[in-house]
Amino acid sequence: MKVTVKEWNAVAAWRWDMPDDDVCGICRNPYDSTCSKCKYPGDDCPLLLGECNHSFHMVLHCIFSWLRQESAQEKCPMCRQPFKSKNQEAAATGDSQT
Amino acid sequence: MQLHDKLPPGIVLVKADDFQTWLLDIQVVDGNPLYAGETYRLKFMFSQSYPIEAPEVVFVQSTDPPRPIPYHPHIYSNGIICLDLLDRQGWSPVHNVESVCVSLQSMLTSNTKKERPPGDENFVRFNTQRPRDINFVFHDERV
Repeated sequence: MKVTVKEWNAVAAWRWDMPDDDVCGICRNPYDSTCSKCKYPGDDCPLLLGECNHSFHMVLHCIFSWLRQESAQEKCPMCRQPFKSKNQEAAATGDSQT
Repeated sequence: MQLHDKLPPGIVLVKADDFQTWLLDIQVVDGNPLYAGETYRLKFMFSQSYPIEAPEVVFVQSTDPPRPIPYHPHIYSNGIICLDLLDRQGWSPVHNVESVCVSLQSMLTSNTKKERPPGDENFVRFNTQRPRDINFVFHDERV
């Protein structure tokens, strides 16, 4: 018996390589979701991991809008150490895991 | 701005109909005799920038139900609270309504003085600033 595959549909799912139950400490939404102001999760609302290993949704609304505040003094909201991005490259491209 | 399903002991959500103003009742649960049997009402006011900006949090007074302003050297008799966590310098966006309530419970728990801040009478009479615009000096490391 010969089977000919005429058509197939691939389905892929993605998620951030982060602990399951963890949420962004600022907006309290899951990392796999968006912050409360973005429309699409993933590359449109990427995460930023700090050298202190605390991570947040990155663009505009969570960690960046905090760091723009003068009173933030460029410190991590979680541990108040100076906030430095752990991996500039990953942050810039929104390096997601499949 | 979501509250967890279960709030810590002594914290009750009274009103949260919108994202501008919330009311919560707190009690001091460890049996500090200064606050035994009393319930205090907190009013949270959120700006558009919450949680990047701190909420404005004050105690509010009412007679029915009885909600006095707790005696504390850092709580003025008009309900304004002097706590670094609620000020620009001390706020962090990872705080939330629950953690603020717990901090205030703990601030009351550790207090042993039934008194108002120095200058309370004048402050209450003449202050027209909103709590967030007042430049408090945080000098007391014990609370």
